[in-house]
Amino acid sequence: MKTLHQPHFDSIDGLAQRLAGVDYIASRDIATAVYLGFNLEKPLLVEGPAGVGKTELAKGMAEILDVPLIRMQCYEGLDESKALYEWKYGKQLLYTQLLKDKLGEMMQGAVGLAASMDRLHAHDDLFFSEHFLEPRPLYQALHQERGCVLLIDEVDKSDPEFEAFLLEVLSDFQISVPELGTITAKVKPLVLLTSNNTREMSDALKRRCLHLHIPFPEAKLERRILERRVPGLSETLNRELVAFIQAVRQMDLKKQPSVSETIDWAKTLLLLHAEHLSLDMVKGTLNVFLKFEQDIATANEQLPTLLQQARKDAEMPRASHA
Amino acid sequence: MQATLEDFFKALRGGDLEVSLNAQIDAARAVELVGWRDRALLKSALGATLAKTTPDRALFDDAFERFFRFSAFENLSAPTQDPPAQSAQSPQNTAATGSGGPGGCQGSGGQALSQLLLAGDSAALAKRLQQAAREVGLNDIWFFTQKGHYTQKIQQAMGLELLDREISDAKRQTLAPERARELELARKQLFEEVRNFVERKLALFGTAPTRQLHDDFLQSQKLSNIEKRDFARMHVIVGKIAKRLAERHSRRKKKRVRGQLDFRKTLRQNAAYGGVMFETFWRSKVVDRPRVVAICDVSGSVRQYARFLLLFLHSLGEQVSDLRSFAFTNHLVEVSDTFESLPVEQAVDKVMRAVGGSGTDYGQTLLDIEARLLDDIDRRTTVLMLGDARNNRGQAQAHVMQLLYQRARRVIWLNPEPVSFWGLGDSEMKRYAPYCHIARECNSLAHLESTLDALLRTHSASA
Repeated sequence: MKTLHQPHFDSIDGLAQRLAGVDYIASRDIATAVYLGFNLEKPLLVEGPAGVGKTELAKGMAEILDVPLIRMQCYEGLDESKALYEWKYGKQLLYTQLLKDKLGEMMQGAVGLAASMDRLHAHDDLFFSEHFLEPRPLYQALHQERGCVLLIDEVDKSDPEFEAFLLEVLSDFQISVPELGTITAKVKPLVLLTSNNTREMSDALKRRCLHLHIPFPEAKLERRILERRVPGLSETLNRELVAFIQAVRQMDLKKQPSVSETIDWAKTLLLLHAEHLSLDMVKGTLNVFLKFEQDIATANEQLPTLLQQARKDAEMPRASHA
Repeated sequence: MQATLEDFFKALRGGDLEVSLNAQIDAARAVELVGWRDRALLKSALGATLAKTTPDRALFDDAFERFFRFSAFENLSAPTQDPPAQSAQSPQNTAATGSGGPGGCQGSGGQALSQLLLAGDSAALAKRLQQAAREVGLNDIWFFTQKGHYTQKIQQAMGLELLDREISDAKRQTLAPERARELELARKQLFEEVRNFVERKLALFGTAPTRQLHDDFLQSQKLSNIEKRDFARMHVIVGKIAKRLAERHSRRKKKRVRGQLDFRKTLRQNAAYGGVMFETFWRSKVVDRPRVVAICDVSGSVRQYARFLLLFLHSLGEQVSDLRSFAFTNHLVEVSDTFESLPVEQAVDKVMRAVGGSGTDYGQTLLDIEARLLDDIDRRTTVLMLGDARNNRGQAQAHVMQLLYQRARRVIWLNPEPVSFWGLGDSEMKRYAPYCHIARECNSLAHLESTLDALLRTHSASA
């Protein structure tokens, strides 16, 4: 088994820079965890609120490693046949129908049931070979010639049974298929698991993974993310917007706005040619980053104070620079 | 380096964070990769490998800050020199002492202790302190009573004897009273520093074993004897028990019965292939999650127990999805909502205030159950009664118990009184007990756990 190794990752800062090169601004914590996962060849369990860039991280890694990203979305009821492989029943059926005559020919001259069976036995493995195998994400990931980034998304949504099934993949990068034997990864993939913490993962799974918690970014980091992701945004607006979102996150909301919402909002404001946050404009675009009616009502009440606070916060760092 | 890491793992256990061997190996490899130089980097690296959940990460951060803080001798005022070098703060320094090896502290190789103290060389002193601490095995410290002993031993290992001799020498020489005073002052400072150091280490290492001891004590103690200040700790223990029980019994929902073909399902699913049976389906057992109705007495007679029983109900509710909880003194009140919406302390207090107080009336409560609850109880439900069955000489209404017994999968009665007291005085337990699948004495956490474990096990086995 080869390992997915690239010489560029000799340092953590180097990795962070390369991630920045593909528009993923990583905090030091994130870069360290990914670097370790990469070098220790361990899967990385990424937790954090929705929309802070857990999935984006996997995409970014795939891009800088220049390998495919294979994504497996977990959900309740996901099982091996959907995650690993499945037989192509239709194709098997079609082939047996098409080859009926051939089968007849083959059977010619065979006397009795036992003899016919013997002849069939000589060919039976044909129908259970890789030609009739429908590869699913895990199988694909182990079969990539150049390695890949395997993203097991929202693993907390899967059943405990499936979680247990994953253990073999995560610790040894191999999988046992009854009909084909044990399949080992050609090149060890970089595995990222994401979880939104709807349930706690089992100890066995946690033990096999490194853990990374991505919180909401600090103002400074969020500004850098916006700079990258929404080019053309003026610095003033960037500052005010981030300060506003940071203030909103302090409120008691059902769903706090995440980085992806910040980006959406910035794009919206850019389309509206805004230079500053104005009361009317914020009011009109609240629904871009608040997803619950109740939250919007709560925010609307405190809008003037929030806005004032945001302007003050936006001014403050610049004043200290001067 | 390795020794420092191992000490850190020990400190983490003190911080209530269990570190598996696997994680330790990862941590060691991670440190090899990132090195000791950058403190923030070291923290992220160790954090990623050692802490496995977000709450664990908070515990880890706390332990890291405490362990890799190194402030001994920082405020040592040197008469001749500037304040000491910064190096004392970096983990590098802490680590370096580990490789120093034992011995050589008594000033044979390095300078005398007095010289270091007078020169205010905090880095060297700190190093010597660490070395001495390791020599005397400070990491095994358990109790605060050991503080004096370890302080003394460390000072000796650092070369106190020599210092004392120098002080007495200086005193004898009438020409050097100044020096004697300086040395005595330095000796006092040394004592302070060493003592602070020992105290910090006690906080780091001593908490894990003593907490374990305390937990064991709480588990076996009668619930009525546990004091209120232990309530928070009890909550943690009870939470752990409830979680363990729920984990053990909610897993393996589907168990395949090998060799029994589910013929109907197979036919149905394979209709798509023209009746050729490609896919086979096997019969499976479905073990449903426990459905529990818990009814808890919170009257005066069981006051001391009620808090813990409610606490347990609350914790169980966090683990078991289908739990309805009721409390009663003289009539039945559903408390499921309170438990779900409020944090445990408040919920328990609220229930005790709202329901508790007046005299118990089991008869009325049972009639309430008959009127309001009986329809919801079927052969999948387990009914859990918690109470002492002391009815203040009212009507027993045992026929309701009989109805419950006939309808429910199980009726379990946990009574805080010992069996020999049942039926004495106004206790109706003897009348109710025949209608319970299990009736048991239960007045400590250990009791509670074993009873409920048995309950849930038979529950899933008979499904």
